[in-house]
Amino acid sequence: MIIPDRSEYLKALAQSGQKIMGVLPALYPREILWAFDIHAAEIWDPPGELLHANAHLQTTICPIVKKSLEFILKEPDIINAGYLFPHTCDSLQNLGTQVKDLIGVSLPVYTFYNPKGSFNNTTTKYYQDILKNFQSTLEASYGPLDPEKLLAACVLSHNIDSHLLAIQLARMTDHLSLNNLEYFKLMRAQEYLLPTDYLSLLEQVDILDQPSETPRARLMVSGILPPTSEILEFLDELGVSIVADDLLAVSRRIPKFPMDVPVSPLDYLTDRFFILPSCSTRGGDLDERLHHLSKLMNASQAQGMLFNMVKFCEPELFDHRLLVKTLREKSIPVLTLETELESHISGQDKTRIEAFTELLFEMVSP
Amino acid sequence: MSIRTELRYKIMKDYGAPAVMALQNFKKRKPRPIPEAFGPPLESNKRLKEILSRHYFLSRYVPGVKKVAWVTSGAPVELLRAFDFYTIYPENHSALVGAKKQGADYCGIAEGSGFSQDLCSYARIDLGHMLSGKTPAGKLPKPDLLFCSNNICQTVLYWYKAIAHELNIPLIHFDAPFVTSEQTEADINYMAQQLQDMIPVLERVSGRVFYLNIFEDILKRSMETSKTWGTILDAMKAQPAPMTIFDAFGHLAPIVSLRGLPVAQDYYHILMDEVETRVTQGIGAISDERYRLIWDNIAIWYKVRFLATFFAERKMNFVTATYTNAWAETTGYLNVKDPWNSMAKTYGQIILNNNLKHRLDLMKKMIKTYSVDGMVMHSTRSCKPYSVGQFDLRKAITTDLDLPAVILDADIADERVWSEQQIHTRLEAFCETLEGSKHG
Repeated sequence: MIIPDRSEYLKALAQSGQKIMGVLPALYPREILWAFDIHAAEIWDPPGELLHANAHLQTTICPIVKKSLEFILKEPDIINAGYLFPHTCDSLQNLGTQVKDLIGVSLPVYTFYNPKGSFNNTTTKYYQDILKNFQSTLEASYGPLDPEKLLAACVLSHNIDSHLLAIQLARMTDHLSLNNLEYFKLMRAQEYLLPTDYLSLLEQVDILDQPSETPRARLMVSGILPPTSEILEFLDELGVSIVADDLLAVSRRIPKFPMDVPVSPLDYLTDRFFILPSCSTRGGDLDERLHHLSKLMNASQAQGMLFNMVKFCEPELFDHRLLVKTLREKSIPVLTLETELESHISGQDKTRIEAFTELLFEMVSP
Repeated sequence: MSIRTELRYKIMKDYGAPAVMALQNFKKRKPRPIPEAFGPPLESNKRLKEILSRHYFLSRYVPGVKKVAWVTSGAPVELLRAFDFYTIYPENHSALVGAKKQGADYCGIAEGSGFSQDLCSYARIDLGHMLSGKTPAGKLPKPDLLFCSNNICQTVLYWYKAIAHELNIPLIHFDAPFVTSEQTEADINYMAQQLQDMIPVLERVSGRVFYLNIFEDILKRSMETSKTWGTILDAMKAQPAPMTIFDAFGHLAPIVSLRGLPVAQDYYHILMDEVETRVTQGIGAISDERYRLIWDNIAIWYKVRFLATFFAERKMNFVTATYTNAWAETTGYLNVKDPWNSMAKTYGQIILNNNLKHRLDLMKKMIKTYSVDGMVMHSTRSCKPYSVGQFDLRKAITTDLDLPAVILDADIADERVWSEQQIHTRLEAFCETLEGSKHG
C-alpha cells in the first residue's frame, strides 16, 4: 500500500486542472464540495516555519490557527478554488473573518457554521437550512448543483465511512498489520486524496482473518491531531500500539455506527453530522463523551490514554481535566503531552513516554 | 418554599439590606484622595455601589425563595426574568475578583484542580470560586440552572458545561450562529425557535408558568434601559466628556447583570441625569481633557485605577470603548410586538458575534463621532473572539485614519500576566506619538 505524498499529490492535481479548495478544521459537508467537482484539501498542520503569521496573530493563539494562516499567506498554487472555514472554535471563527475582511486573499473565502451544544429537532432543521444555504452559495459561483452528483457523492462518502469503520474495528481487535505510523498516515490521507483515490487505498487495506500478534501494550489517544510521526515511531519502537483514538482529525469525523445507504442526500448529511462522536468543539455533553471514550477503551482493551494536547486549544483544555480525573478514578494510566506541532520530540517528552510505557508494560505482565 | 425562608428573604430585602447599606456608609473609611488630574467624581457611584452590594447581599437569602441562575453576559436574560430567577453573572463576579487583585488566587485554585493556565481567567476564577466557595462578595448561592450563549464566545459553553457536570444541574444553551456577513433568515428562525423551546424547561425548573404579557413588559423595560445606557454613552461625545470609560466599566454592571429589572432602569435615569447636567455645566471627568481616546476589548480589571490615572495625568481621556458599547449597540432591533425574532436579531448580532468588517466599521464610526485622537487596544489572552484580528484592525485604523494606536498585552483578571515594564514602555511611546501627532 503506497500512500502518495501530500504536497506532490496536490501539486499534480492542481496542474491537471482540478478545482481545489483549502479547508480548515474540522467538520464540513465534503459531499457538497465533491458534487461541485471541488476537491477539499484540508489544512491542519502544514509544515514550515512561522514567518508571516506572527504579524497577524498573538503568541497565545493555537499553532493550528497560526500554521494555517502561514499557509494561506503564501497563496499556494495548489489551492485554486478558495478557502473554507468551518466554525470550530473562537480562534478559527475569527481567523475566517480576519482573512476575508482584513487581510484579504485573492481567492474566495467561504464559511460553514456547525451548530453547538445539545441537539434536538430545532437544531436538525437548522442544520438542513445551513446545508441548503451552503449549496446556494456555491451555486452562485459554480452553477446549479446536479442532484444525482450529490447523491453519488453521498454514496461515495458512505462507502468511505464503511471502510473506515471496519478498519477502526480491525485496529481495535488486532486484525490490522499496520504500525502506528502507517495507520495514522492512512487515516490522515483522507485530508488530501480525492475521495475515489482514498477509497481505492482503503480497499487495499488488508484486514486479517485472525488477530495478529498482540502488541505488548495497548494505548488510546485523544486530542485534535495524532502525535507526530516521531512519537508514533517511538511508540512503535517501544512496542506500544495505539489501538483506538478520540482525535478530531480522525475518529471524531467518522460516524459512531454504520449508516444506511443514502437515498436522500439532505437527510443523509444531516444524520451523519448528528451521529458523529461527541466532540469538545461542538460543545457536546460531557457524560456522552465520557461514555463514548469508555466504550472505545473497553472495545479496544486499551490500558492507558495519551492526551496529545495542542497548546492553547480551549475546547480540548476545558474537557481535559474531567476526562483525566475520570480515567484516573478508574485507575487508568494517563499521559498528557503538549504540542505546538513541532516535528521533533523533546528529550523530556521522550523520557515521560518511556516511563508511561513501562507502567503499561507492568499492567500487561504484573 | 418554606414560610420561614420566604419571610427571612422579605425581612432581609426590606430591612436587612437597607440596614447593612446604611451601616456600610456609616463605617465608610475616609475616601481616597482624588488626584488633581481628575474632575469631581460622579455622585451616582454611591448608588451604584449600593445596588450591587444589595444584589450580592440578598443573593445569600434567595435559595428556597427563588430559583438561582448563573448567566453569561450576552445571554437573553429577559426570558429568565419572566420566571423570576435570581441571576448571578459569573463574569461580573470574576471581574470583581480581578479588580480586587485576587484573580491569581482563584485561578490558582482552578489550576490546582487540573484546569489549564491557558484557559480564560474569568472561567478559571469562577471555577476556583465553585471549587472553594471563596468570594469577595461574602457568599454566592449555588445555581439551580445555568444559562449561557456563545454569542460572546464558545468558551462560555465549555466553561458552563464543566460547571453543569460538576454540580449536576441543567444547562440551557442559546446557540447564536456567528454572523460572517449578515444574519440569514435561517439563523433568525433557529434562534427564535430555541428561545421558545426553552419555555417548558424554564417552567419545569422554576415551577412557574410563562405569561407572554409579563415577558413583554420585561422586554420593554430591558429595551428602555439599554437605550438609556446608550444615551449615557452618547453624552461622552461632549468635550470635555462627563465621565471616563473607566467610570463606564463600573457603571456597566447593572446593564449586564440586572438588565430587565426596574432597579437597573431607575439607576440609569439617575446616571443619565447626572452626566447630562455635567455636560451642560461643562464638568469633565478629567480636569484638563486635551486628548480623546478609544479603548478596545474588556477592561484590565486589576489595573483600572493605574490606567485611569496614567492617562488622566497626561490629559488623555477615554471617551468611548467597543466593550461598553456592546450593551447598547443592537438594542434597536428589540421589538415587543415580535419578541422572538427581534431577540434573535439583538442577541445574534452583538459585536463579538459579528465579523471583523463590522467591528472595523463600528470602530471607525466611533472614532469619528467621539472625536477620538488615539486608540488603545487590550490584547487579552483570555478572550480569543475579542483579540484574534486586533493586529489587522490596528493596521487598518492607523492606515485609513492616520490614528496613533497601541496594543497592550495583558489579561482581564489574572494579574500574573501583567508586565509592568513592557506596558509602561509601550504606553510612554504611544503618548509621545499621540502628543506629536496632535501638535505636529
